[in-house]
Amino acid sequence: MRVLAALLVVLGAVAGVGAAIVLSAQTVSGVQPWSNELLDNVVFAKAIPFVAGLGVAFGLLGAHLANRARRTKHEHLRRFSRATVIGHWTIAVGFLLALPTGVWQYLGGIIDVAAPIPLYLFYRVHYIGAAIILFSLAYFLTYWWVTGHRQLLPPRGQWRHHLRNFAHELPPPIGHRVGRLLRLHMGGRPSEVGQFTYYETAFSFPTWAVGLGLITVTGLVKAMRYTVPIPGPVLYGASTLHVAAMVLLVLKVLDHLRYVFARWPLMVAMTTTWVTDHYARVHHPGWHRGRDESEAA
Amino acid sequence: MRQVVAVLGLAWAALNVVVASFFVSGSFTATTPAKEGILAQLALLTGGGLIEVFGVLLVWQSWKLFGRHRE
Repeated sequence: MRVLAALLVVLGAVAGVGAAIVLSAQTVSGVQPWSNELLDNVVFAKAIPFVAGLGVAFGLLGAHLANRARRTKHEHLRRFSRATVIGHWTIAVGFLLALPTGVWQYLGGIIDVAAPIPLYLFYRVHYIGAAIILFSLAYFLTYWWVTGHRQLLPPRGQWRHHLRNFAHELPPPIGHRVGRLLRLHMGGRPSEVGQFTYYETAFSFPTWAVGLGLITVTGLVKAMRYTVPIPGPVLYGASTLHVAAMVLLVLKVLDHLRYVFARWPLMVAMTTTWVTDHYARVHHPGWHRGRDESEAA
Repeated sequence: MRQVVAVLGLAWAALNVVVASFFVSGSFTATTPAKEGILAQLALLTGGGLIEVFGVLLVWQSWKLFGRHRE
């Protein structure tokens, strides 16, 4: 497995470098009389399979490294694997590049103003960010598939249980409304929190998945419009949903930052992989007692 | 470190609130959403409003993080 993972990463890297060389040669050849925007779009569309493939290769490597990690630390619990931490900050860089540039493209059309720098540069940075996000998604999907980590989602048949406890974690006036809206049985004491809070499993991660899935699928349709014939209504629908997903992800980033800023040890865990034994005992008692035998996600 | 992160959070939230204010103010005054119709205008208004609410929540949380030294 170790040799196979290393081999796939090398093959993915070679294919990626080869694609970069070919695409660069095509770009600088000047054969096509394209504008900067169109050229960037075509380069991005052609790079998609290589970026996704590279993500799969590195996901395999990450899964292999995570499975090998057995190090322990006195009075600490490992909440995330190193592969997850690397993937998290990689996709964060993608967001940092793709979201503001995407918002600007949309906002510029609404308020009808032009930035002092050319628009194609916004698109170029947007495509770089989108490529990083695509790489990260392929990386994470492969990593979760190989390692079998599912802790960030409610197990099959336990959605209502997680939603009920999520409603309990909300401020009471909002929690009661959510409970009524979803017809949840809100009586009794909430269950102990495991490795992840019910807010994370029942709400946060599923909405990340929806937002990222939607923006990726619609983004791929938009990106491939000059290389594959796409019907006008499909393109219009994809563009509309791409903007909707963008707004959802803007909200998700704000909410995610708000949530982890209030729980600083979780920020620390997303850089060091560890949370203190004390924090886990107080805030994640189910995990701390080993009732759910989750490994680092 | 917390203070640096808090300042970055404040800057991100402020940027979002400013952008959202353009969404809200432009929803019924800008020509592009007007051409798209009432649904597009309402979507812009709702999206902008939600971003403002979540932006303010992040400002508040960043401010609390800035003032917190130890947990």
